[in-house]
Amino acid sequence: MLKCTINGVALEVKPGTTIIQAMSENSQKIAHYCWHPGLSIAGVCRLCMVEIQGNPRVQIACNTTITEGMVINNTSDKVKEAVKWGLDFHLINHPLDCPICDQAGECGLQDQYMEYGQYDSEMAEKKQKKHKVVDLGPTVVLDSERCILCSRCVRFTDEVSKTHELGIFNRGDHAEIGTHAGKKLDNKYSLNTVDICPVGALTSKDFRFKQRVWYLKESQTVCNGCSTGCNVKVHYNKEGLFRVKPVYNAEVNGHWMCDEGRDTYKFVNKEARLLKGSKYSNKAWQIDLHSGAVAKETALNLKEAKPEEIGLVLTGQHTVEEYEAIVTAFVNFYKTKNIFHWINNKDSFDTFDGLLLRGDKNPNTKGLLQTLDKYGITSKWTDLEDGLKTKKIKYLVVAGPENTFVYPDLQSKLQLFSQAENFIFLSSARMPALESYAGDNKISLIPLKTYIEKDGTFINAMGLAQKFKKATTVVSEALTLTEAAALITGQNINITETPAENLFIATNKRPDQVQLEHRKKNEFVFNRGRL
Amino acid sequence: MSVMKQKQDSNSWYFLDVLTGLRITMKHLLTNLFNRKKMITLNYPEEKYEYSPRFKGNHVLTVKKDGSIRCTACMLCATNCPAECITIKASEHPDAQVEKYPISYEIDILRCVFCGFCEEACPVDAVRLGPEWQTPGLNGANFIYDINHLAYRSNLKGGVQSILDDQDRHKAGI
Repeated sequence: MLKCTINGVALEVKPGTTIIQAMSENSQKIAHYCWHPGLSIAGVCRLCMVEIQGNPRVQIACNTTITEGMVINNTSDKVKEAVKWGLDFHLINHPLDCPICDQAGECGLQDQYMEYGQYDSEMAEKKQKKHKVVDLGPTVVLDSERCILCSRCVRFTDEVSKTHELGIFNRGDHAEIGTHAGKKLDNKYSLNTVDICPVGALTSKDFRFKQRVWYLKESQTVCNGCSTGCNVKVHYNKEGLFRVKPVYNAEVNGHWMCDEGRDTYKFVNKEARLLKGSKYSNKAWQIDLHSGAVAKETALNLKEAKPEEIGLVLTGQHTVEEYEAIVTAFVNFYKTKNIFHWINNKDSFDTFDGLLLRGDKNPNTKGLLQTLDKYGITSKWTDLEDGLKTKKIKYLVVAGPENTFVYPDLQSKLQLFSQAENFIFLSSARMPALESYAGDNKISLIPLKTYIEKDGTFINAMGLAQKFKKATTVVSEALTLTEAAALITGQNINITETPAENLFIATNKRPDQVQLEHRKKNEFVFNRGRL
Repeated sequence: MSVMKQKQDSNSWYFLDVLTGLRITMKHLLTNLFNRKKMITLNYPEEKYEYSPRFKGNHVLTVKKDGSIRCTACMLCATNCPAECITIKASEHPDAQVEKYPISYEIDILRCVFCGFCEEACPVDAVRLGPEWQTPGLNGANFIYDINHLAYRSNLKGGVQSILDDQDRHKAGI
């Protein structure tokens, strides 16, 4: 271990650590654009300047490894001046189009300008015009004028996705990012280039102009796009969810996530959701029913049934806690072991592309299998098909998938399920295929909550259990599978209200502060008569 | 603040105060009768008061030289609006130099408090508060002004031109 001092703080670091690594690991602020912890060092932005004792000039922190006894400082006026003029050079050709730039609000240039810059430009020359709105591929749009040529995106395609689509072309003022001739930026990780772009040069086609970023809140969760279980944050406001971005987790996804996972917000938004419960009996639909009421009614039906007439189908898209609740309900309350695992794409189930994407498009297959093992359930899918054909299974409860895009067999499976005399479908997605059903059997539709709207645990393909918290509520009437399990067994749901004192942490309270409850209640009464 | 007045002897003799009041009334009556030019009231619907040019009335969306809307849908006005009465939907413009433009710009005029913060926030002089304020409507009238009303309503005579224009900006090298 090497000893060094950064900004007056004595640190011990491993040999080979660069200054910028040591600083970011010890949460010290340093301006930088081209350095990214997940990529190689380029040293092109010249912004991470630090003063090292004994060296006459400032040096870049990203490409300087720490030596024994180094004394480093990046808060001196000398460093600030260097960063300021470095920034001035970055901004020579940068257009002033923050109002129409999607990055505004989370832009590196804006941040550093407010921190170090705040000067009037001293350039007399006109700004260099470059290409705007360049279509790089199916997911990304490039604005060359905004680009500061930090080369992060180029290094990403070279080092992480290894697809080598991007490069820097021309020299000097005319240098531009672009794709090599005849190539498109079209790989399964292309949108990571948008995340790592410190300015608004690369923007996502999907998110472009949808919202200003300052209207969005963010919340951490686990992606439910596939069994890798990448750590992500979702950005949402009262209108719904707008985008998904990766969160660093060294054990699971590193800094990245795939493009497919970024679509996982789409089935959460209201347009794709089942909003109310509905029932089909005597060849007519009753719509706009309360989901709890529908679930309670199914409980009355199920109680009349014999154990072997009841079946339950589960997908790998729900949380461990929910599986536990619903499997206990069926095994212990209804005394049935007819519980089946609906596998969506059997052929590609075990494939893995070597980086993040897995063929198993369910976030919690492992969790489901563990729960089924725990209760000793061995029933096979063919048992269900036979049972439905021979009318042995009359009551079928199905907890459908949230992400219906990855269930290509949805239509055929729904046809199979609706052979049951009483088909109870718990689903978060709207099912237009079922709405046109015109058979003799009874169908109940109960809306479920999605992974954004509940707390829970997913166990990913590596067997790592990851807990996540509720981000927001999109469909307030939807039930979680735990609630549905309680209602289906005829119990009531306990609604526990968290008192406001537990919800908020008072940060402005002194430990010795005296509480005056009655006084807080009616400040006006207490202040009346005073001037 | 409530102020309690003490009862005093001088207060109970109110007759003199009545006379003072009558004197003021008579003074105004007589000046209005004999000097109508000095009369400060207006015969409202026929006569209208002219406000100063800085008056903040109904909003106007300005247009460029070619008559298209100047707004770039940056949403700074909507962000700055204390009444949250502005709703904008942005979209991709076919012209790469324009890039972003509003496909819908709505102001809920009943929520608006006419503070003028939108005008101040606008970086491109796209929204202004105009002189008109007499825009009543019956129950059920459309008080949510849409983009066409804001930019091209008939009394704007084809739109108000903004001082800033994209072409001029690009020529100046901005």
